Amino acid sequence: MNIRTLIVSAAIGGLCLSAPAFAQVDAEEIFKENDCHKCHHPTKAKKGPSLAKIAAKYKEKKLDEKEAIKHMTAGKKVELDDGTKEDHKIIDTKDVAVQTAVAKWMLNR
Amino acid sequence: MKKTALFLGVSVIVAGCASVATGPQAIDWNKIPATKVALFYPGQSSYQWLRSEAHAGAAKETARGDSCTSCHDDPKEEQRQGAKILRGNHPLEPHAAALKGKNGHIDMTVQAAYDDKNAYLRFQYKTHNPNHPGNDYPGYRFDGKEWKAYGGMRLNKNVLAGKTGIVYENRLNIMLDDGKVPGFAQQGCWLTCHDGERDMQKEASKAEVEANALLKAIKKSDVRKYIPASRSDPMDWKTGKPLDEIAKLKASGQFLELMQWRAHRSDKVGGADDGYVLEYRNFDKGSNHFASNMDGKTKQPKFMFDPAKFGAKAFAASDYGGKKELILVKGVNAVPFDPNAGWKEGDILPQYVLSAADAKGSAADNKAVSSWKDGVQTVVFIRPLGLANDDDKALKPGGVYNVGFAIHDDNMTGRGHHVSYTKTLGIGAKADITAVKLN
Ligand code: HEC
Ligand code: HEC
Repeated sequence: MNIRTLIVSAAIGGLCLSAPAFAQVDAEEIFKENDCHKCHHPTKAKKGPSLAKIAAKYKEKKLDEKEAIKHMTAGKKVELDDGTKEDHKIIDTKDVAVQTAVAKWMLNR
Repeated sequence: MKKTALFLGVSVIVAGCASVATGPQAIDWNKIPATKVALFYPGQSSYQWLRSEAHAGAAKETARGDSCTSCHDDPKEEQRQGAKILRGNHPLEPHAAALKGKNGHIDMTVQAAYDDKNAYLRFQYKTHNPNHPGNDYPGYRFDGKEWKAYGGMRLNKNVLAGKTGIVYENRLNIMLDDGKVPGFAQQGCWLTCHDGERDMQKEASKAEVEANALLKAIKKSDVRKYIPASRSDPMDWKTGKPLDEIAKLKASGQFLELMQWRAHRSDKVGGADDGYVLEYRNFDKGSNHFASNMDGKTKQPKFMFDPAKFGAKAFAASDYGGKKELILVKGVNAVPFDPNAGWKEGDILPQYVLSAADAKGSAADNKAVSSWKDGVQTVVFIRPLGLANDDDKALKPGGVYNVGFAIHDDNMTGRGHHVSYTKTLGIGAKADITAVKLN
């Protein structure tokens, strides 16, 4: 767990009485701090699908952030364009509130 | 913005252009578009690291030649990357603790123009230290008996051990490719940065260097920048190709131009280094704007300051970082060293002596003018068009080149610089940075 996550968690801890936890999280910042943006561009296909494409797929298949969280926490094998497989990146936090915020942010692109 | 417009006395500065307008030629930089370029602190992100599992999820793509910016394209990417590497727990910077407070990135603007003779490249950026232009350089310090090297950059082993002062000159560097070095357009300067080089991972030992055929053949005592094609296995600096093969690469244009403006060693005489990267970071043929101030035989400096010009024959460590310019220039403030001048312990003389007149041949092609004001460094490189030397890349109207920039700032050299991803430079042709034709 890095320092930023600690700070985020601390902030959530202090504020959870007055607001839903994820509202306090800068999801975009966490997404980028975790290098997710290096493979997931807002609109362009990079190594991973674009955020627009992921959001559209989830909408079409009626999937929600719980499914997205699986992808960022399970370290499952992902299949690449060239047919090879590699382990997906695992997000640097076990805080479900933060994971949910990131997933919601992704799916709202 | 009149005050930042730089007027170039071209007829004075550029050698051999008697045919150019006789009076000082003025470029109104306000009329030339400026391109923003961000540079970040790359730590030890070598060719080898980038192709290793530590570059998680990107080793294979980098090895097959994908461009860095196919993934690193966030508008704030350089800012993010530099901050991350300097944060304190990143494997790419083992000395982060010693660099506390260092800026992770630098925002620079680049402008370009050309006329019939020259290309003019103008750069502006803020120096991290707002109070000093960074034009000090390590010296030779008299210890009562001998003249010994004093000072070093922040990552220097003696500096880290607290045994000598923090001193190094600022530098602005341009690496340029005319499309002949495979991969440069995609991966830029990172093609030349390797494990084994100075202050990198697995830095080559003296014994390893002495045992190496290529380094022995070119009489070098360390490993410096090289392009992948100069090694039979680019992942291993030890696999240098034979000299005849290196010569063939050079003849076919497989080398990178490297121009460096130096705040201490070239600025005062209006120069910038002209070098190239192939099997090593080489200087072009001829003589640089600076030369060693140490006499190898007597082990004493060759020149000292003229007290009538400098106010003293030498300076002290406490003068570093101050208002006085500690730069020794032939014909200006240098006189031959007098061993009987009553030297005291702590006297310091510069390690290099500068001379515009001594700079000769291909090494003296590039000129530069600069100013440093309110913490903003401005540098204009002047590069003749159409150079025909075998160690130069010729710039031609209509040509488009791949360029990478680096800044050594705040007492750094070697790997301690900020570096940019590749950009394109067009001489009158459309590119990321387009040089505008002057009338
Ligand atoms: C090294 C590249 C890479 C990085 C870094 C990366 N991803 Fe992915 N990601 C992929 C690939 C490739 C896929 C596609 C998997 C597939 O289609 O089977 C994927 C898929 C996903 C999916 C599922 C999309 C779907 O169709 O269900 C989510 C959600 C996701 N990533 C989130 C993240 C998050 C959050 C991060 C940062 C913690 C991240 N990714 C970092 C490459 C990456
Ligand atoms: C396929 C996408 C991809 C390519 C191509 C790529 N990188 Fe990366 N890079 C990444 C990812 C993802 C990370 C984060 C890895 C980690 O720490 O988990 C990263 C990390 C880095 C880091 C460490 C700091 C940071 O941002 O985390 C540096 C420095 C870096 N890359 C430089 C480069 C350079 C230079 C090139 C070109 C020679 C390059 N990269 C090419 C995806 C890529």
